[in-house]
Amino acid sequence: MSMEISIIKPGLLATIQDIGRYRYLSQAVPVSGAMDQLAHRLANKAVGNADEMATIEFTYADAAFKAETDLLLAYSGDGAFLVYNDDLMPPEKPLFVRAGAIVKLVNNSIGLRIYLAIAGGWEVPDVMESKSTYLTAGFGGFEGRPLRKGDVLSSGPATGNVSVAILDQLQKRGLTYPNWRISRESLLPENRKTIRVVLANEINWFDATSIISFLTNPYTIDRRSNRMGCHLNGKTMVRKIKKELLSTAVSPGVIQVTGSGDLVILMADCQTTGGYPRIAHVAAVDLPLCAQLKPGDEIRFSEISGDEAEKLYLEREHDLSLITTAISLKYINV
Amino acid sequence: MTGERAYFIAGYPVTIYGLSEQSVTVEFGTVISEELLGIITAFNQFLLQNPFSGLISTVPAYCTLTVFFDPLSVMASELDGEFCSDKVVHYLKELGRTQNLATTAASNMVIIPVCYDDGFGPDILTVARTNQLSKAEVIEKHTSVQYTVYMIGFVPGFAYMGGMDARLETPRKEIPDAKIPAGSVGIAGMQTGIYPMETPGGWQIIGRTPLKMFDVNRSAPSLLKGGDLVTFKSIGIDEFNTYAEQ
Repeated sequence: MSMEISIIKPGLLATIQDIGRYRYLSQAVPVSGAMDQLAHRLANKAVGNADEMATIEFTYADAAFKAETDLLLAYSGDGAFLVYNDDLMPPEKPLFVRAGAIVKLVNNSIGLRIYLAIAGGWEVPDVMESKSTYLTAGFGGFEGRPLRKGDVLSSGPATGNVSVAILDQLQKRGLTYPNWRISRESLLPENRKTIRVVLANEINWFDATSIISFLTNPYTIDRRSNRMGCHLNGKTMVRKIKKELLSTAVSPGVIQVTGSGDLVILMADCQTTGGYPRIAHVAAVDLPLCAQLKPGDEIRFSEISGDEAEKLYLEREHDLSLITTAISLKYINV
Repeated sequence: MTGERAYFIAGYPVTIYGLSEQSVTVEFGTVISEELLGIITAFNQFLLQNPFSGLISTVPAYCTLTVFFDPLSVMASELDGEFCSDKVVHYLKELGRTQNLATTAASNMVIIPVCYDDGFGPDILTVARTNQLSKAEVIEKHTSVQYTVYMIGFVPGFAYMGGMDARLETPRKEIPDAKIPAGSVGIAGMQTGIYPMETPGGWQIIGRTPLKMFDVNRSAPSLLKGGDLVTFKSIGIDEFNTYAEQ
């Protein structure tokens, strides 16, 4: 069974995204994908999807869509709340929405983006092995562009055992959602405005005062921030070594220092190579926090070691696999 | 992985550092050279032919090769080391013991037709004036040497090429153009390159190729890759239009 929605209002920017496009980096094709990979994956898990399936990334609220068929949806992230039948729908839960209903995104002041998953995943053609939209070159996702009013989006066949069982149970019991919920909070640090970083290869190109400033002073998010990078305002970095860095590979999470000494956290759509010296990279587990930062938000950086960042990454992946198992066990007898 | 470490790969002293939890960079030197490019290209090909469990992709650049991997697959593998990055570094080091890498690199030779008419090359007179050449001499010099693709970067399929005649050297524009058409051939300093798609850019534009430098419908979307050898062929507007219609 395929499910379908039509976009009434896309909001500031709505695109189809998935876990990213990693196999074409050598051809300078960016990773793209969901900015907040954690929220993207949790939304998918809540409807019984594989993490790889495509979701819609909405930026802020002020968006709405119509259910053209019955739907099994879930959302995650801090950019908005879903409203259905005048009720606020909880995030990280499967939601059963009746055909004909209008679902709205209303303001959530905490963050910037939410991810809307549908059982079976949003169906768009694969471009270079991914459904992610890359707007700069206009490929991937829904016709290589942001969603617009009137666009009709369909799901792939929702044939996964877990998706079928969730849908079946909600329909039989006449429920909008079950009583369980994935706890996204338990996966995130208490303070979401402290970003853990690992110092980078060019750290010694900066003077000691700058490095101390970087690790102690607050930085605020600049308005120019977008899917390519998070631009920061605050104490600028002073170079001790002024040589040029020959362009070399970069990746989402890398913090570059521009010619004027400003910091930029590279995000999902960043170029594959860069020539600015790098002061640090954001620990992979904290990159989803950066994806939820709004202009004016204030953050601080705290240093951890590369080994610690790797340990945190592996622990996070372990926790995420336990969530998938737990949901399966609720619905499938083994 | 803590800090950078020094090793030898194919007899070359390299340093290896973590770029993220999913990538490490092997730095072969700090100065652009054909020799270094040859080593990086050869080691990249050798690694892709002999991947470790969890290898996702690689990004060659001027002096570095960056290796992206899936940490979970690497951790589950039999590679030596406590942490993922240790395991990958260990593998790269072992692979790097292989000698005579330079002779194993295979290069593609690609001929790229370029129309140098004024309409397509708005900055060709700037390049001529900067170097006290005639327009015809600029075209002659640009088409008479073989270029080497150092790397693909900036936007999908954008090839940075070295080997240009020093008498064409022209600094990039102080204020970049807001829109450079797809196929535009440009010069920046001692490098030449081709814009695969319409983007802003600061290179001096001397002509345009009708070829699609990047096409998502091809199995290899980028026409060029690091290590390829390129020559330009001057074509007239009629031939350009014939190509463009194909």
